Amino acid sequence: MKPEVILHSFGYLTQAAGVTIAVSLAGIVIGFVIGALVCASRVSRRAWLARLGGAYVSVFRGVPLLVQLLFIYYFLAEFGLDVPAIVAAVGGLALSSAAYQAEILRGALNAVPRGQAEAAVALGFAGSDIWRRVLLPQALRISIPPLINEFILLLKASSLVSVVGIAELTRVSMNIASLTYRPLEAYVGGGLFYLAINLALAGFGALAERRLAADGAR
Amino acid sequence: MMHSDKITVTRREALKTGLAAGALIGGTRLALADDTLAEIKKRGELMTATEMQFPPFDISDNGVYKGLDRDLVDAVAKEMGVKASYLDLPWTSVLPGLEAKKFDLCIAPVTITKERMKRYAFTVPIADATAALMKRANDASIMKPEDIAGRTVGGQKGTSQVEQLKAFAAKLSKPVEVKEYVDNNQSYADLAAGRIDASVNSLPNLAYAAQQRSDTFAVVLPAFGQPTYFSWVARLDDKSLIDAINAAILKVEADGTMAKIQKTWFGQTMDLPKTVPEPSI
Repeated sequence: MKPEVILHSFGYLTQAAGVTIAVSLAGIVIGFVIGALVCASRVSRRAWLARLGGAYVSVFRGVPLLVQLLFIYYFLAEFGLDVPAIVAAVGGLALSSAAYQAEILRGALNAVPRGQAEAAVALGFAGSDIWRRVLLPQALRISIPPLINEFILLLKASSLVSVVGIAELTRVSMNIASLTYRPLEAYVGGGLFYLAINLALAGFGALAERRLAADGAR
Repeated sequence: MMHSDKITVTRREALKTGLAAGALIGGTRLALADDTLAEIKKRGELMTATEMQFPPFDISDNGVYKGLDRDLVDAVAKEMGVKASYLDLPWTSVLPGLEAKKFDLCIAPVTITKERMKRYAFTVPIADATAALMKRANDASIMKPEDIAGRTVGGQKGTSQVEQLKAFAAKLSKPVEVKEYVDNNQSYADLAAGRIDASVNSLPNLAYAAQQRSDTFAVVLPAFGQPTYFSWVARLDDKSLIDAINAAILKVEADGTMAKIQKTWFGQTMDLPKTVPEPSI
């Protein structure tokens, strides 16, 4: 083990970690927006909307992310639709993560006891207020641990975007391994960066949980 | 009846317009066959791709692309009066990317084989690709290629070197166990760790690896494979592009630039065929 290999490549790894964070963050945020819409359509009383939401989840959760990325980047080009690499990467992550996030949000909504809505009706809350002030705040709090889980999974899955030519953390670790013929050092370096990022994410999750719990008690 | 027909046409047109609009947003390259060269000249840029994990041909050193391919393609692009750009893709994505027109030329060294000639247009050779073996430096039990009989050898899946290894092994007294890896670096790592007894790859790759880690690796000489060569590849219908690249490569060879590049990355010079050789495998 030669730690100086990691030190020599520190700047390269840092830059790649930045790419991993940026791509994942964009995927998570866009995925959350799409996921919320898909969840809303899944719980809709309109049967066709609910079915559409269900179909979305089935497709994007059922097809491996790697295949989705290859499809967006290479297959769409067959139809003259030249998707830039970064758009394919973020789009693939967002579309796939949206399916998981939609189910997390739906599960959280279902976990709010029925009596809460009934009590709100009995207390004279208007329909929109029941959602805004009673159901969504509780659902959001329930959804935080599984959402942080999903964010961490997505961050690690972002290593797949190297298939469209994005030099993220795993790819750069491999580059360093092949350059130095020292794979152990290169992957330990890359692994430490992932660990640091995910610890920060988990810390953020714990903070958000505490903040929301305090809000609930107020 | 008339009415519904009209709607169908309109819808189809709408779809076409939509696709065209989407293509425009993505910066379309709806290139027709064989005008790639004209487009490169117009663009002033030769778009290339390779996997930057194939030393000494392709290396990404702290994010900077280096290697024999880089130096050579820069010289070739200069001859053509354009600039080269480089994309780093995993090997499994390089040829699909070429077919999907994501770039013009694959500068990953591709071994010329009969099977591949049917699908891609090859340039004249850029380096020797003859298959050879590498062992642990302290392993005295392998002194010539035939000594791998009854041992385990690793190589990169899908490469012609692994195919040559299998053909070579079939003629030996004892069967050889061939372990196939996603890339050569894993094969080297397992060789260093003692999980396999030798790694197969092209002689230039192995010579460079053994030179970089001479404490760990040593090349087993002579190379056991049939003489084969590395070339770059373009799409099969890009004849004029291949002609232009070939002319530039031959020019670079004639004026001594090639010898200088070889000296930098191989530590020696070597003569290469001036035409695309008939593949022996």
